[in-house]
Amino acid sequence: MLLIAVPAVAHVGSPDIYAEGNAGPYRLLVTIRPPLVIPGVAEIEVRAVGLGNGQPAISSLEIAPIPLTGEASKHPPVADRMKQSASDKSFYTGALWIMASGSWQVRFTVQGSQGAGVLSIPVPATSSSTRGMDAGLGILLGALGLLLVAGVVGIVGAAAREAQLPPGAEPNASSRSRAWIAMAFTLALMIAAVIGGKIWWNNEAGDYAKYVYKPLTMEATVEANRTLHLKIEDPGWLKSRKIDDFVPDHDHLMHLYLIRQPGLDVVYHLHPDQVAPGNFDLALPSIPAGDYSLYADVVHATGFPETLVTRLELPAIEGRALSGDDAKGTAPPVVSGWNGCPANPAPGAKFRLPDGYTMTWTNASTQPAKTPEIFDFRLLDAAGNPASDMDLYMGMVGHAAFVKDDGTVFAHVHPSGTMSMAALMMAAAQNRSSHAKQDAMAAMPGMEGMDSDEAPVASGKPGRKEAANAPETTGPAKSPVSAIPNAVGFPYGFPAAGAYRIFVQMKHGQTVETAAFDACASAPRPN
Amino acid sequence: MATTWNAIRAGEPARRGNSIPWYLWVAVLAVTSVSIGAHWDVSWHRSIGRDTFWTPAHMAIYACGVLAAISCGYLVLFTTFRKRSPMAASSVSIFGFRAPLGAFIASWGGIAMLTSAPFDNWWHNAYGLDVKIVSPPHTLLMLGVFAVSVGTLLMLVGEMNRALTFGNAALARHLQWMILYIGGLMVVFQMFFRMEYTWDVYLHGAFAYEAMAAGMPTMFAIFWQASRSRWACTWTAAIYTVFVEGAILILPLFPAEPKLGPVFQAVTHFIPPKFPILLIVPAILLDLLWTKVERWKAWQTALATGPVFVLSLVAAEWPFASFLMTKASQNRFFGTAYFQYNMPSTSFDYLRRFVDPEHDWQLWSGLGLAMLFAALSAWLGIWVGRWMRGIQR
Repeated sequence: MLLIAVPAVAHVGSPDIYAEGNAGPYRLLVTIRPPLVIPGVAEIEVRAVGLGNGQPAISSLEIAPIPLTGEASKHPPVADRMKQSASDKSFYTGALWIMASGSWQVRFTVQGSQGAGVLSIPVPATSSSTRGMDAGLGILLGALGLLLVAGVVGIVGAAAREAQLPPGAEPNASSRSRAWIAMAFTLALMIAAVIGGKIWWNNEAGDYAKYVYKPLTMEATVEANRTLHLKIEDPGWLKSRKIDDFVPDHDHLMHLYLIRQPGLDVVYHLHPDQVAPGNFDLALPSIPAGDYSLYADVVHATGFPETLVTRLELPAIEGRALSGDDAKGTAPPVVSGWNGCPANPAPGAKFRLPDGYTMTWTNASTQPAKTPEIFDFRLLDAAGNPASDMDLYMGMVGHAAFVKDDGTVFAHVHPSGTMSMAALMMAAAQNRSSHAKQDAMAAMPGMEGMDSDEAPVASGKPGRKEAANAPETTGPAKSPVSAIPNAVGFPYGFPAAGAYRIFVQMKHGQTVETAAFDACASAPRPN
Repeated sequence: MATTWNAIRAGEPARRGNSIPWYLWVAVLAVTSVSIGAHWDVSWHRSIGRDTFWTPAHMAIYACGVLAAISCGYLVLFTTFRKRSPMAASSVSIFGFRAPLGAFIASWGGIAMLTSAPFDNWWHNAYGLDVKIVSPPHTLLMLGVFAVSVGTLLMLVGEMNRALTFGNAALARHLQWMILYIGGLMVVFQMFFRMEYTWDVYLHGAFAYEAMAAGMPTMFAIFWQASRSRWACTWTAAIYTVFVEGAILILPLFPAEPKLGPVFQAVTHFIPPKFPILLIVPAILLDLLWTKVERWKAWQTALATGPVFVLSLVAAEWPFASFLMTKASQNRFFGTAYFQYNMPSTSFDYLRRFVDPEHDWQLWSGLGLAMLFAALSAWLGIWVGRWMRGIQR
């Protein structure tokens, strides 16, 4: 098997965080753009959803960066007030310093007509690159550097030649030659200093490079009994990173997407089991032959998510039937040579499912890159009516994967946004306070089945799905199964212009439906 | 020499009274500004955490470069281009420009400081904000500050030497005070640069003393020689002590709160620096020693200086550092109960415990090395200081 690992961050090629959630009674659509270097500044945008449309008014919105776990998570700094746009009163902007690599959260505190509300969005912060120096600055600094070197040589020459001469005296031949010798010596010294400085600079850059994020590597092999074996190793990054501390993220330690390349025409959403630290096994279902990209989402105990990537060429496999939360989907291959984008998708784009149901993308349109949008989908039954037997799929109304046609972008997105659900639960758990006791998780869109009191993060106990399937369970009031809607929205923004395929999964009865929609992102809007 | 004593006198303008020219005041103000700004900036980072280019502390730092550029730029242009400039006779020539040597050095410092600003900005964008304090752009900034200080010192020394040459004792006396003041600020700056190595929890290990022995006797020897004051070391060390103690007393008067996480300590006011190192003790002894051995050769004086500096500093600082670990020092004056916002409660500093205290051979071998550093530093300082006594321009 040919295995190729490509660099990845939490998601692949899609670092910005898009989220929708409730800060108490206030509904917010949040965009967080983490810095390229750490320490660095994260840029934050918030749109108050539905203002002037029955939603309570907001008087102030504050943000604070806090580590997600550990002692430091209990000690937030003073919050910053976000700036309200003069032209768009529902739009706020702000910036926050993120001082260390790792698992952070941005805490939004809203004050308004219905009191205070809090929302915390997890932010995995990593240094992802080193910026080069542009030519103009390089020339300016080079010129100033030359001036400084020449200045030192000239100063030493003057000091040796005439600094001790009485006022008015002219330097003689011997002091002049002494000056020349001193200047030559100083020039040699300065050249050595510049070379030493260059070596120092290189060492500093090398040290910094150690902090640039290096994802866990994943090696995939298929054994004779059709078992997929995934071996995870740490290539070296932060010493605090482990491979034996994964926590369940909506019921599973790992969410594995197999997507056939190059057509993106076959997709599997599977859930391998951990058999030993860093080792995951999965009895493969029946899979058509092909070259597959594997994207494996895991979450560390710190709430830091990672997407592990590899490639795997598979022969046709006759395996087990799909069961539990495992699901597959097929779609016509994306057309090669798209020239970057498919035709502008029509609103109400439809995808016919194998059992006669239909999924529609209700607000399909071409989106500018780096622009937050709620991607809305509905599931209709064979008669074209809203599906009435909806169930939760791993605790949520739907799951989506946004994949760029060349495989360089992969983002596993939920109704609440692009964050890992395990991290979101950790953040939400910290927000519960005596004066604002609320179920922050259930307040997230499409999270009707999720309950942070039942967060499986630390205990590993099952999530809400079982409760949803067993309405007789006692305890806090749960949403009845019949209340699960047939519509779901995913907050997301494409990271760059180009063609994308969106795989959307919803469940009705015992069937997990997987639909595929083709999308186009145009160039980002200028700032 | 190609000139006569009378010619020198004739070339010197009659304006020489007891007044000190304005550009020297401005240069002294520049060094004062950066000394305050640097401590303010560190306090800002320890209390608030986040800053921009436009913080008052940064303005105080860069004002040093601007003030140096004003005073020295004036001197260079005035001396170079004005016909019959009164300074022409007491200037040196570099690349066709004429000015006192110190003015060129301070100008170099100003350019270095201004160069460091875009360099540092790029550095933050490329590698993150202040991952390390001692980075190439910060080093360039500190070299610039050092050059402004040295340039100012040389201008003052040259002016004093000429005043003595012309028998103007009153002016020379005033200039000597300014030299000692600048010397004190240079001690402040030198100790600022060593701050990370001389934190109070490191003071029961040899490395802190090695860090001070490497360089501080140089500064004292230069001031002692160049200022011609028998108490130069005492005065400059006293200025350092008063300056840092002043920061301890003044900074906590102003409110500040952390704007970066994680916040381990509740900070409500600016966090001041650590209590000054008791340099005053070896400074007094060096003044006494150097007065006694004035006729010795430089290397002989240096050999005697090494042990005197290190042993007297250790004898004073070692028990004093123990005191700084006690509750008795947790007050406004000694300031050992101020902790920066991101200081974990498990840190040595918060727990008031020494980091890796050293004993026996490990300690004494380190202190032996410190004495060697101090001797070499002193020799260098005596050599430079004697050269500066002869500066006329």
